[in-house]
Amino acid sequence: MKDIRKLTALTKAGITESLQFRLGTVVTLFGNLIYLALVYFLWKSIYASAGSDTVNGMTFYDTMIYLILATAIFNFLEMFILWDMSRAIQSGEIIMHLLKPMRYRWYTFWSYSGSHVVSFFLTFIPTFLVVMIVTKGAVPVGWNLLAFICSLILALIVNFNLEMLVAPICLYTESTWGVNIVKETIVLLLSGASIPLAFFPEGIRRIVQYMPFRAIYDIPLTVLLKKNGSDTAGGLSSMILFQLAWAAVLIIAGNLFWNHAVRRITVNGG
Amino acid sequence: METASCRKRGFLFYAGIYRKILVQDLKSKMSYRADFILSNLGMIMTNLSGFVTFMILFHNFPSINGWDYYHMLFLYGFSLIALTPVQCFFDNNWNLRFMVRSGDFIKYCFRPINVFFYFISEVFDIKGIGQFIFGMGTFVYAWRHIGIPVTFVTIAKAVLFLITASLFMIAIMNASAATCFWIINSGYVMVIMFRFKDFAKYPASIFNGIFRFIFTFIIPIAFVAYYPSLVFITPDSVPLLSWLSPLIGAFFFYLSYKFWMLGVRRYDFTGS
Amino acid sequence: MAKEVLVMKDVSKEFKVLKRHEGLKGSIRDLFSRDYTSVMAVKNVSLTVEEGEIIGYLGPNGAGKSTTIKMMTGVLEQTSGEITVNGLVPYKERTKNSEKIGVVFGQRSQLWWALPLIESFKLLRDIYMVPEKDYQDMLELYRSLVDIEPILHKPVRQMSLGQRTLSDILAAFLHDPGIVFLDEPTIGLDVSMKAKIRELIKGLNEAKKTTVILTTHDMGDVDALCRRIVIIDEGQKIYDNDIDHLKNYFGSYRTLKLRLEDGSWHEQVIDENKTDVMHVIQETQKKHRITDIQLEEISTEEIIRKIYEGGKAS
Repeated sequence: MKDIRKLTALTKAGITESLQFRLGTVVTLFGNLIYLALVYFLWKSIYASAGSDTVNGMTFYDTMIYLILATAIFNFLEMFILWDMSRAIQSGEIIMHLLKPMRYRWYTFWSYSGSHVVSFFLTFIPTFLVVMIVTKGAVPVGWNLLAFICSLILALIVNFNLEMLVAPICLYTESTWGVNIVKETIVLLLSGASIPLAFFPEGIRRIVQYMPFRAIYDIPLTVLLKKNGSDTAGGLSSMILFQLAWAAVLIIAGNLFWNHAVRRITVNGG
Repeated sequence: METASCRKRGFLFYAGIYRKILVQDLKSKMSYRADFILSNLGMIMTNLSGFVTFMILFHNFPSINGWDYYHMLFLYGFSLIALTPVQCFFDNNWNLRFMVRSGDFIKYCFRPINVFFYFISEVFDIKGIGQFIFGMGTFVYAWRHIGIPVTFVTIAKAVLFLITASLFMIAIMNASAATCFWIINSGYVMVIMFRFKDFAKYPASIFNGIFRFIFTFIIPIAFVAYYPSLVFITPDSVPLLSWLSPLIGAFFFYLSYKFWMLGVRRYDFTGS
Repeated sequence: MAKEVLVMKDVSKEFKVLKRHEGLKGSIRDLFSRDYTSVMAVKNVSLTVEEGEIIGYLGPNGAGKSTTIKMMTGVLEQTSGEITVNGLVPYKERTKNSEKIGVVFGQRSQLWWALPLIESFKLLRDIYMVPEKDYQDMLELYRSLVDIEPILHKPVRQMSLGQRTLSDILAAFLHDPGIVFLDEPTIGLDVSMKAKIRELIKGLNEAKKTTVILTTHDMGDVDALCRRIVIIDEGQKIYDNDIDHLKNYFGSYRTLKLRLEDGSWHEQVIDENKTDVMHVIQETQKKHRITDIQLEEISTEEIIRKIYEGGKAS
């Protein structure tokens, strides 16, 4: 009896210890694994019902890789700029950053860069490896990996600037949750993170194609899977240029909006 | 005062208190109109996005695991309704870890009412209403297309099974929120558990043995919509688990409540 | 003889703390060893409080004050000893006990954040099942003591800290509890608000014969409100008597202030039983030129500080 209690105490102590150790990463990884299983079973049965191996140019494994890596990219890109800014506004701390928009922008970007690096190695890479194993190496390995990394960095920049564009809305409302969820929902749906853009009906796809959201999830993943002509120099460069163009547009728009919002604070006194 | 302490605080007492908090809370929320509109817009967007995903899926695939469009829609509507109470009434669980960490949680221990009730009653999240309306529309639409008869019995059944189905997600969130009494980063646990709700709208029959077991008995999301829906969709061959789901729901809720209260006791003992 | 509202007999509280070792090696060791250290937060404390008293419950940070309060309110169970509050055992009858006590933790509002104060009051009336007449009488009493009209319809989230503290104190007295625990009620407030809060506490105590247990670090609170003080340090009661007695006890202490030729003031607390004031002055004069002298009676604050620094006073 005493021994059993000793053992359970030991287990408990052990669990507590290992839980304290980078629990966030471990739980996220574990969550991704279960999520992976769910996606696997769901799409396996969907494809089983479809009767053909390829739907809209996507095989079962393509879809799997696409969706699971989209989740991993989601974790990798995750930033709380909106929440940070709304907190800074409510506490009045924003005044400190006020007159130097570029500095605030850079400061935020670099302060997040560390967590991006950590999450890339601790959640993205392991998830990627698991995907490789589960799909029995269905991810093409070659120059496309390098192109994927470049595209992913651009996706990070587009996503960051999109956040920076939306965040000043917090100056006009207290409902940070509302702003955040609207932004997140639109991004996740129209970027292909919820369901690959390849499955969208033709008409909608043609519109979504020109929106910036595609630059965040769909383009890096398409590049990785060598779809839509991204394995040719022309196709790849047009996708990368698309990302670059949107990054530039968002940076400019973000700055314009920020300057406008700042004027509002200086006029109203916060 | 002597007479007051002799009276018992029963169900009616708690229902009355809850109603009063709710009315006051709604009044104060209405006064922040922009926030109110924005957060409801957010909720509608989320549901709309889920619906669009669903439509796109069926644009490409005629059925999933033998479930056709209307049956899947039924399941989807059912899950949206059953996921409303956790959103509306139990949203304060998201604040639990901050309260516990900062020590503010102790204030809930000084009143002569149930600590869990006191804590949970503090927040009513109005956003859930948009989801409820969305879910009802989908549910009724699918119900009519499947051709389920509209009788007193079927409606009573629907109400009973919807309410008990809602207990499962509540239990999951109670339990994951209560982990904050033991571990530091409980926020991650909550986020991940909350994400599983997205799979409540798919038939559990798509999973293999182990995973079906996990999602039935450990993280019981299969009960949020799949098992109770079978009572309506395949009335001739309803599995035992479907009939038992109200009882199992009550059981899971009770377990999560006990776990939550155990956490409170632990909080007391550490005296943090 | 006055009614005893709170009795503690030889109460101790022991916490078991898992001993953690440093570094990676240490944490691996922790995986296999079960090293508990027990910490005695409260040691054999006895205390009797009578109806209508205001007691200053003092002690340095970490002395065991909040542990004691938690045991009195029934949040914690004592390891040994007996506690009765209003004739009830707090831990065993937590709900019943909490009907007859009021608690205010400074700076942590217990009211409904979004609701106007009056609505919080109505909810508390229902939760404590206060009869309507008693409730109205209490509001009348409040009106006679402070100007509550400006805050009555204001949501708590929009209140200043002072208004919030005021509201919390009023809410704690609303169900006419026999005993109210106030933890640092004046922390962070400006001078005039402090005075207002002290007046309110005094007024409520006198009108309702409510016992008040006041923990504070502000000796202004103690001087204004308490006749009796209890001091606890390292879990043990080291002083329990009248505040006047405390001053007599340390009456031979004075503060000597000397101004030197460079214009600076030098302060020194002197125990006249041990040191002669004149001697100190003479010694200083040998080295410096003294331009001014002041001799002050010691303040409560300084006495308390001496007790904290010197341990047991008896």
